[in-house]
Amino acid sequence: MAKKIVLETKGLTKRFGSVTPLDSINMQVREGEWVAIMGPSGSGKTTMLNLLSCLDAPSAGEYILDGVATATLTEKQRVAVRREKIGLIFQQFHLVPYLTALENVMLAQYYHSMIDSKDAEQALAHVGLGHRTGHLPSQLSGGEQQRVCIARALINQPAIILADEPTGNLDEANEEVVLDLFKGLHREGRTIILVTHNPELAEFSDRVVRLQHGRVVHDESAH
Amino acid sequence: MFFRMLRQSFFRGWRRKALATATIVLSASLITALMNISIDVGDKMSREMKSYGANINVVPKSEAIPLEIGGVDYNPLKDRAFINEADLPRIKEIFWHNNIVGFAPFLKTGVVISGKEKKRINLIGTWFDRQVPISGDDEYRTGIKLVSPYWQVRGEWPNEQGAQNGMPGEVLAGALLARELNLKAGDQITVRTGDKAPREENFVVKGILTTGGAEEKALVASLATVQRLAGLAGKVQSVSVSALTVPEDRLSRKARHSSDSLDSAEYDRWYCTAYVSSVSLQIEEAIPNVTSRPIWQVAAGEGAVVNKIQLLMIVVTIAAFIASGLGISSLTVTTIMERAREIGLMKALGAADWEVYLLFLSESAVVGVVGGLLGCVAGAGLSQIIGLSIFGSTVSFSPIVIPVNIAVSVLIALSGSLMPSRLITKLYPAEVLHGRR
Repeated sequence: MAKKIVLETKGLTKRFGSVTPLDSINMQVREGEWVAIMGPSGSGKTTMLNLLSCLDAPSAGEYILDGVATATLTEKQRVAVRREKIGLIFQQFHLVPYLTALENVMLAQYYHSMIDSKDAEQALAHVGLGHRTGHLPSQLSGGEQQRVCIARALINQPAIILADEPTGNLDEANEEVVLDLFKGLHREGRTIILVTHNPELAEFSDRVVRLQHGRVVHDESAH
Repeated sequence: MFFRMLRQSFFRGWRRKALATATIVLSASLITALMNISIDVGDKMSREMKSYGANINVVPKSEAIPLEIGGVDYNPLKDRAFINEADLPRIKEIFWHNNIVGFAPFLKTGVVISGKEKKRINLIGTWFDRQVPISGDDEYRTGIKLVSPYWQVRGEWPNEQGAQNGMPGEVLAGALLARELNLKAGDQITVRTGDKAPREENFVVKGILTTGGAEEKALVASLATVQRLAGLAGKVQSVSVSALTVPEDRLSRKARHSSDSLDSAEYDRWYCTAYVSSVSLQIEEAIPNVTSRPIWQVAAGEGAVVNKIQLLMIVVTIAAFIASGLGISSLTVTTIMERAREIGLMKALGAADWEVYLLFLSESAVVGVVGGLLGCVAGAGLSQIIGLSIFGSTVSFSPIVIPVNIAVSVLIALSGSLMPSRLITKLYPAEVLHGRR
């Protein structure tokens, strides 16, 4: 039996004046699927990620996330969707510099519902940072910061994990660690959409969607 | 979590907050100092004005009947009505007795200085520094030295009792009189008194008196001496009273026109406040057949100076408020720009605008409280420096200044942060987190 569709776009378009960085994207992502979005610079990857993560609103088209039609939502409603359904992982980690690793994870809990330090500690242990909970971002390596970012994305059990170049700022050793984490998440049945230039990351995904000039030029199983 | 973020933001980012706190401390210390002085200035001014002399003049009731035509006083009772010296301690027994600094009676009589000049002058009798037993304070001393500290004597003050053991009496010679008659301390003079039964008496000039008033053309002796020479034992013509009073305000000015114009609540408030007019009324109630007249120039001058000082304080306070508000505003803009990614991240994680506002405004409020408290400490010190340099005494610290100053500091911090905080709404996570759109 086919798994349920978690994410669906129909003619998803974004325009900035006369420029259309994303044009009529039709895509479906099923529960537990790992999708890699690839493409050269300026192909519309980041614009697409912004729309899929509800950080921005489309100019036209439909976007249904976990049963919620988000295209026509107000900013306030999009905030609620981000909070409830999306886990975000950034290339530059984006941790609050004055909060410890544990507090950075709890921050996502705080805006979602209520904080639970035990859960946050478990999430950090899950990414191999059980011994670094009290450290500030400045006291962590790049790989460790990215793992905190992953723990923060997972803490509220989101419907979908959206990652923007998660290994883009990491050395080879840390890239390996983060890749292993993504493999683990995939095995756990998490739905992952990952924007990357890195063919090695895409290699382990179920599907690769290639963008060029804001359009999907390739969408097929990676295996 | 909110308080954890607030605390961590302060502990880990204290350098960023220190500048904002310093801005608040500067204005808060200024406001504290000015508030302290403003509250204390009435009392300080009142004491300061006491060095310029008495502010109440007590005369027999009949003396107060106005009967002046063309500048000439036709009152037939002038200089013929008297106050009993024995009643004077009652001045120190009124409701506002603690505000009565001192009082000095006066009695004058015409005398002729014997010698080649045969000059007719006034001999004024008063208390110099005399012990006056009053109920509750047997050691109370008062007299002209206390009431009119501006009376300057070159030489010595005469003794209070007058002539003793056959020795000649002691007098002060007014500076103008001394110059005219070439008198100096230690000289002996003979004065003749009484037109019907003239009698002569010798005096030693103990000192030369400078007052800037009519006393400089007269001789001044102890009250007992003048009473004996004039044959008016136990009588005085007027009493100068120096009282600590609160500056004139709207209520006292209304009462000054007519106390009948006050309603009962206003009358009670006026009567129970140490205005020069209400103290005067209580003196009239204490001593029979006298009129107690405030010296309005002193009272009005005191009120005018206090009002001007307080107005100046308000203007400076508003200026400090605006200046530090602008400083905070500028710092908040910088802080928001520096923390744009943090704000974008919070929004990306699901924070509503008001939650980000709340964090930033709470940080400002804490800066306000800390800055206000430190400002109170610095302002207390500053007010002492101002008090010592202007009034020559410390300024009492009013506890009410602390909550008021903290509230004002928080208001400065919040009002300075409020406008720039609107930038938070304009920060889109998609822009600040990816650096592009």
